[in-house]
Amino acid sequence: MTVTISIQNHTFILHPTGAVFWTNKSILLISDVHLGKVMHFRKHGVAVPESAVSKNFDQMNAALDYFDPETVIFLGDLFHSKKNTEWQLFEKWVSETTSKIILVAGNHDVIDKKHYQKLEIEIYSEIATNGFLLTHHPEERDHFFNFSGHIHPAVKMRGIGRQSLKLPCFFKKPKQMILPAFGEFTGTYFLIPTEHDCVYAIANDEVIVVC
Amino acid sequence: MNRTQLFNIADNWFKNQGWKSFPFQKETWTAFLQGKNGLLNAPTGSGKTYALWIPIVLDYIKNNPDYETKHKPGLKAIWITPLRALSVEIKQAAERVVNDLGAQMTVGIRSGDTSNAERAKQSRKMPDLLITTPESLQLLLASKGYDKTFEDCRAIVIDEWHELLGTKRGVQMELALSRLKTIAPNMRIWGISATIGNLQQAKEVLLGMGSEAYENSILIHANIDKKIKVLSIIPEKMEAYPWRGHMGLHLIDEAAAIVRKSKTTLIFTNVRSACEIWFQRLLEKYPEFAGEMAMHHGSINRETRLWVEEAIRNEELKVVVCTSSLDLGVDFAPVESIIQVGGPKGVARFMQRAGRSGHQPGKESVIHFLATHAMELIEASALKKAVAETVVEDRIPYLNSWDVLVQYLNTLAVSDGFFPDEIFNEVKGTFCYQAMTEDNWNWILNFITKGSQSLQAYDEYKKVDIEPNGLFKINSRLIAMHHRMQIGTIVGDATLQVKFLSGGYLGSIEEWFISKMKPGDAFTFGGKKLELYQVKNMQVLVKKADPSKKSRLVSWMGGRMSFSAQMSEMLRQEMYTANTENLTPELKALAPMFKRQRKESIVPGSHQFLIETFKTREGFHAIFYPFEGRFVHEALASLLAFRISLLTPISFSLAYNDYGFELLSDQEIDMQSVIDNNLFSTEYVHSDLQRSLNATEMARRKFRDIAVIAGLVFTGFPGKMIKTKHLQSGSQLIFEVFRDYEPDNLLFQQAYRETFEHQLEEGRLIQSLERIKNQEIVWKQAQKPTPFSFPIITDRLREKLSSETLAERIKKMTASYMKNEK
Repeated sequence: MTVTISIQNHTFILHPTGAVFWTNKSILLISDVHLGKVMHFRKHGVAVPESAVSKNFDQMNAALDYFDPETVIFLGDLFHSKKNTEWQLFEKWVSETTSKIILVAGNHDVIDKKHYQKLEIEIYSEIATNGFLLTHHPEERDHFFNFSGHIHPAVKMRGIGRQSLKLPCFFKKPKQMILPAFGEFTGTYFLIPTEHDCVYAIANDEVIVVC
Repeated sequence: MNRTQLFNIADNWFKNQGWKSFPFQKETWTAFLQGKNGLLNAPTGSGKTYALWIPIVLDYIKNNPDYETKHKPGLKAIWITPLRALSVEIKQAAERVVNDLGAQMTVGIRSGDTSNAERAKQSRKMPDLLITTPESLQLLLASKGYDKTFEDCRAIVIDEWHELLGTKRGVQMELALSRLKTIAPNMRIWGISATIGNLQQAKEVLLGMGSEAYENSILIHANIDKKIKVLSIIPEKMEAYPWRGHMGLHLIDEAAAIVRKSKTTLIFTNVRSACEIWFQRLLEKYPEFAGEMAMHHGSINRETRLWVEEAIRNEELKVVVCTSSLDLGVDFAPVESIIQVGGPKGVARFMQRAGRSGHQPGKESVIHFLATHAMELIEASALKKAVAETVVEDRIPYLNSWDVLVQYLNTLAVSDGFFPDEIFNEVKGTFCYQAMTEDNWNWILNFITKGSQSLQAYDEYKKVDIEPNGLFKINSRLIAMHHRMQIGTIVGDATLQVKFLSGGYLGSIEEWFISKMKPGDAFTFGGKKLELYQVKNMQVLVKKADPSKKSRLVSWMGGRMSFSAQMSEMLRQEMYTANTENLTPELKALAPMFKRQRKESIVPGSHQFLIETFKTREGFHAIFYPFEGRFVHEALASLLAFRISLLTPISFSLAYNDYGFELLSDQEIDMQSVIDNNLFSTEYVHSDLQRSLNATEMARRKFRDIAVIAGLVFTGFPGKMIKTKHLQSGSQLIFEVFRDYEPDNLLFQQAYRETFEHQLEEGRLIQSLERIKNQEIVWKQAQKPTPFSFPIITDRLREKLSSETLAERIKKMTASYMKNEK
């Protein structure tokens, strides 16, 4: 159900939740969870089912249980908007998590740093290490391979008999890998791959290579 | 003053105008003055406006003998029109009556176009006679102390009721009326409707099931006979007639010839994009029409539309290319000819359009039918018969529209708040909610106060508060503001305003279209070539494009209509005569196509059900021809594909039109086993349909409107940038969360119910399966596509259905870049 790939002699495992495990460093990369989105909507009178809240945490636990990483790095948009009661659930989740947690801040991350610091979560605008660059917005920089999120990539597939499918995906360019949105209540954006790109589509509980 | 005296006043007025009153007008006056409610069945241009304005004013005169000297302030009557554009005409008619009869009454309009200053003035002092739209009426119910505004109102007239019936705006109207009955006890309720199949029911929906108002009501028919002449445009050479639906532009010369011969011609197209193309091509090919031609459709800005309407009246235009936006409303006396491009899909619509011409007394209406592809000529032939026999469709009213109820209750909560017990009885008395249970009602109350379930302590849901005395009220100013902005967004698609950089509003465009364009790209809109500069704050900023630049034509979603049951029946009967000697001119003209069809396959007779299979580069095609109309075919295709997929893992792409449907697959369909296994059986239809993936896709689309109406998707206010940061979300996303976490949500379920009742037309589906059961199945294995199949297999808008796993399907596919490499 997972797919293992090699980039610059490092091994990465793509998980159907949308997480990427960096085996050599025992780091789990997760992007665009958008926690608090459901409650943000409810607070403004839009009755999105409340039970969707717990799904994000279940998914994070599933990915963490599977890889048991030393570090979890969120590639931005961890929280959708201002602080609301989902923060308390997050606090609880953090306290029950043994991995070290780091946030590379994204455009939605408007919650004050000090709240994260209280939970011993480190915040960076980007992380550059071992020839890899971790950012929220996709970026091309010389000598680096970039992991990012922000776009919520998805792909359209076509076949004979006029068949077609739309699936969220990991989108890999020669020097870049864009992660799908991890969050439950988030949308997608269709990207069109060129011949140099590779797409890893998420088909329910399976990651499937398309390139 | 007694009735004779009152009638004398009215008769004198008619005489002074040089008119004579019709019997139906007098009948209406009498009923109105007797205090009756009712429905007046009268076509456009029959004098229906005066049938009701007159008694409204007479009633005032009767109750205020000193009417000429003293003025009693306050709202006395409301006139509801579904189209804002019509309000000016209605106001002029009212003012004419009021002024000439010397009643000191004021007339005002309140609609989306009314300025804030004017609104504020009205709120302080309502005009005596108010012309408004269903949405603006809801907004009045959302203002504080609304009951005082309406308490002395003595009449409400709902014009073009047939247009509202069968829509959610109609439901909105039912709810508003249920409230007004309580707060304005002396109010008479009158509807005006064109001819539809279910007029009795239309009256019942208007007045409420078995209500007091209904008991004291009357149905009046204008009985104005109007002769309609239908002419098909048949070209000299039929060989060149395209097999599939183009825009009908191959007949542009024939159309131009008709335009030349008439004072004014209206060219009706079914969709706005066709309207744009026809305008463009006509102008290119016949530049001499420039200055005397115009375009009119729902997305063009109001000023332009009003100008066009005025210019038609003043005989300044030779030809107007338009859509259903000109179906309704005022008379255009100079219009002599109508051209209908493509099948109108329904008899009522066709007749209404025909009626736009030949308004002078005794003149007959002439409508030319321009078939865009060969098969449509059969439609033309069938329509002629339908018009001759006046076969008109029903408008099916909505039931249990929870989305509209949610919106309405929020509206009441925004103004003065409401007590559920009082409102329950009012709502329950409407046609739409006659079957609502206490459970349903409690669910709705729970939804607006707690966001349906709220089990967790950390929940922050906020919308309607329950005050200690049991009053349901919205107290948050922000939420109240959001809600007021949402009222009236019953029409779903996200639209953006198109504006020149230098200023100047051009019209509106759907978001999906503009999202495919980059700044610098050019598109043609409203007959102008425009270059996209920037999209900002729900506005599309454009400048004039370089004329040599390649541009795209704007298109709009929706507008795909289906044959009504009546129309399908007429079409089948017409089709069956193709095998006889008794041919209409249209069928005769189709001889070359029939010959070709018979070479590969057959033209089915009434006892036959035709299935064709053949293979092309695209895969294996199987075409079925029930001739039941698009919506029924959608359901049948879905049902059959699902049943076949149970026999073997297979993936289909589905296409349909009004004549038949196609199942396309990458593997050959075992047609013999389809026939042997009796897959057209009527057993388990409902559960099979529900299980076919397609129903989910359709429900998902239905849900879009539901989510907007119920306030789950915040669309903002057109043209105004309201801060809705982080509150943007698509209805798709909400649909999925409901599916996964709250499948018993009534709004979610409503999407399915609407799919089955209004989209798939389950009732008709079963009837057609019964019919197929008694027909002989004729399976033709053709070598290549037949003329009948051609319009279907070339349709790009398709549904999918598969019983293969995702992984299996992906293995057979390539990501879409393969297409781009070519």
